[in-house]
Amino acid sequence: MKILLIEDDREAASYLIQALDEVGHVTHHATDGETGYAMASGMDYDVLIVDRMLPRRDGLSIVESLRAEGDQSPVLILSALGEVDDRVTGLRAGGDDYLVKPYAFTELLARIEVLARRSSPAEAATSYDVGGLRLDRLSRKVERDGETIILQPREFRLLEYLMRNAGKVVTRTMLLENVWDYHFDPQTNVIDVHMSRLRGKIDKGHANPLLHTIRGAGYMIRV
Amino acid sequence: MFKLADLWRTTTVRLTATFVLIFVLFSVLLLGIISYQSSIQIQRQQTADIDREVAAIVQVDKNRGFRATIIAVDRLSRMPGPGIYFLGDPTGQRIVGNVETLPPEAITAPGVYSFDYDKSQPFGEDGGPRNKGNAVVRSVALDSGLLLVVGRDVVERRGYTAIIIQSFVIGVVGILVFSIIAGLFTAFRVLRRIDTINGTATKIMSGNLSERVPITGRKDEFDGLATSLNAMLDRIEQLMVGLKEVTDNVAHDLKTPLTRLRNKAENALRDTADPTSRTEALETTIAESDKLIRTFNALLLIARVEAGTPSGALTDLDLTTVVADVAELYLPVAEEEGLTLTTEIAEGVRHRGNRELLGQAVVNLVENALKYARVGDRPGHIVVGLQLAGERTLISVADNGPGIPEADRARVIERFVRLDESRSEAGSGLGLSLVAAVARLHRGELRLEDNAPGVRAVIDLPVD
Repeated sequence: MKILLIEDDREAASYLIQALDEVGHVTHHATDGETGYAMASGMDYDVLIVDRMLPRRDGLSIVESLRAEGDQSPVLILSALGEVDDRVTGLRAGGDDYLVKPYAFTELLARIEVLARRSSPAEAATSYDVGGLRLDRLSRKVERDGETIILQPREFRLLEYLMRNAGKVVTRTMLLENVWDYHFDPQTNVIDVHMSRLRGKIDKGHANPLLHTIRGAGYMIRV
Repeated sequence: MFKLADLWRTTTVRLTATFVLIFVLFSVLLLGIISYQSSIQIQRQQTADIDREVAAIVQVDKNRGFRATIIAVDRLSRMPGPGIYFLGDPTGQRIVGNVETLPPEAITAPGVYSFDYDKSQPFGEDGGPRNKGNAVVRSVALDSGLLLVVGRDVVERRGYTAIIIQSFVIGVVGILVFSIIAGLFTAFRVLRRIDTINGTATKIMSGNLSERVPITGRKDEFDGLATSLNAMLDRIEQLMVGLKEVTDNVAHDLKTPLTRLRNKAENALRDTADPTSRTEALETTIAESDKLIRTFNALLLIARVEAGTPSGALTDLDLTTVVADVAELYLPVAEEEGLTLTTEIAEGVRHRGNRELLGQAVVNLVENALKYARVGDRPGHIVVGLQLAGERTLISVADNGPGIPEADRARVIERFVRLDESRSEAGSGLGLSLVAAVARLHRGELRLEDNAPGVRAVIDLPVD
C-alpha cells in the first residue's frame, strides 16, 4: 500500500514510517501543508494520513481542495483535537476517518487498511460470504453452511461491518464508532461481551472458527 | 472617598440641577401669566365698580336733583377706601370730593383718565382718608350741569401684584434650596453605595475572594446590582476553588501513575536477562500510559463541557433512543456479570441536547452501576429509566448495591473523588464529574438518591 503522510512532527513521523514499513507499506512524507498538497495532487496514493495542524497550510484545507478537484483518495485525519465538534468538522471537510492523538499504532494501521479497502469495489456488494458464512444485506438474512442464524439488529450490523472488512483487523473503537456511533472509550469490556455473543451464534458447533480475536488490536473475520 | 468636584460629574446632581432649572423657568412663566391675568381682572373689576357708581349718581341727579347728588357724592368721598370722588361746577371748580385737582382734560372732555391724585388736603372738617397715589377716573357731565368724576386708586392693584411676586420669590427660593439639598443628599447616598461596591471590588482584587457586596434589603437597583455581582463572585469563587482542587488532584492522581510508569520502564531497562518479562513490562507500560491518556481525555472533556460547548452542538434529539441504545449496549455486559438490567423508558421523549455527551453520561452511570450493583450473594439489579415528570425530564440509573452514604453524595460528584480508598476498582474517579458537567450543560443537574438499597442516579433536565 502506498501512503502519503503529511505530518510536521518529524519524530512522530519517522516512528510511523518505520512501523508502516515493517508491515509492508511504502510511505512518502511531507512536513508542511503546501508540500503535502503538491505531493497529494501529483501522485496517486492508497491512503493519505493528514495531520490537522500543519505549517503553511492546515490539514482540513488540503482535504477540501483535493475533494474539490475530484480526488477521492481515502483520507485519515490526525488531530490532537478530540471534541465531537472537531470530528464533525474534520469529516465534513472531506476526511474519511478521524483519529485523535495520542493513538496506538495498531489503531492507525487497522483504520488505514479499512480505508484503503473502501476505495475498492467490494464496498457496493449486496451480500458477503466468508468461508460458508453468508450475509445478505437486502433480505437481512445470515446463514452458515445453509443453516439460518438469527441475529438481533445490532448483531447484524456488527457482523455486517466485520464481513465488509473481512481479512482486516477492526479495533474495538472502530466497532463502537461504526456499529454504535459512539466516539468515546467505555471503561468496561463492553465490545468483547458483544463479540463473544456473536461468536457464540456464528462459530458454535463449527470446527473452524471464523471470528478471531487479534491480541492487542481487535477482531477479524477470515477463513 | 469622593471630592466635591466629583459631585458635579454625578448623574444625580446634574439631573437635580436640570430639574430645578426647568422648574424655576416654569414657575416664572406661571407667575407672569397669573399676575397679568389678575391685574387685568382687578382692572375690570374697578372699571365695573366705577361704572356702577357713576350710573347710580347719574340716576340720583336725574331723579332727585343736584342737591341730592352733592350729598351723595359728599358721603361717598368721606368713606375710607380706594374711592376717588369729585363733583364740580361746569368750570371744574370743586363742590365736594376727596381730591383737590384733576387732569384739565377730565374737566373739558368727559372720559376715562389716569392721573396722580393727592388726598392729603382733607376736605371738610372731619376729612377723608389722606394719601397720595395714582388713580383711574371717569368723568361725566351730569344732567344738572355738574361735573362728576369717580375713580379708583390703582396702587391697590399694584400692591396685589407685589404680594404675588413676593410669595413667588419666597416659594422659588424655598424650592431651590430644598431641591439642591435633596439632590445633594441623593447624590451622596448613591455615591456612597457605589463607593461600597468599589471597595468590595478592590478587596476582591487584592485577593480576598470571599468578600461580598452588602445588600441593604431595599430591593432597589443597587440591591439588584449587588445580587448579580455576588452571584457572579460566587461562580468565580466556585471556579477558583474547583481549579485549585483540580490542580491538587491532578498532582496526586496523575503523578502517581506517572511515577509507576517510570519505575516500570526503569525496571525493564535493568532487567536485561529475561526477554519475556521485559516484553511484559513494556506492555504494562503501554497499558498504564493508555490509562493516563484516558484520564487526560476525561479531564479535558469535563473542562470543555463546563466551559459550555457552542450551542451548535446541541440539537433536537430522540432521548428515548439515546437512553435505550445505552441500555441495549450494556445488557449483555450485565448478564455476563450475573446482574439483571431492565429498562423503564418512556416512548418518544425528545430533548435539545448533545447525543454524544448525553450518551456518554448514561454510559458512565451504567458502568458505575455495573461496578457496584452486586453485594455478596444478593442478585444485583440495575434499572435504566427515562421519565417525563411535569416540567422535568428524568434520566435515571438505579442499582441495589451498597449505596453511597448521604454525607458523601455531594462529594463523589467532584473530580477524582472515589469512596473506595483502596482504589481496587478500575476508574479515574471522573465519571460522575463528567455526568454532572453534562447535566449542567443541558441546564439540569445530577442527583444521587437513596434507592434503598443502592443508588439512584438521576440526570434531571428541564423540559425545553
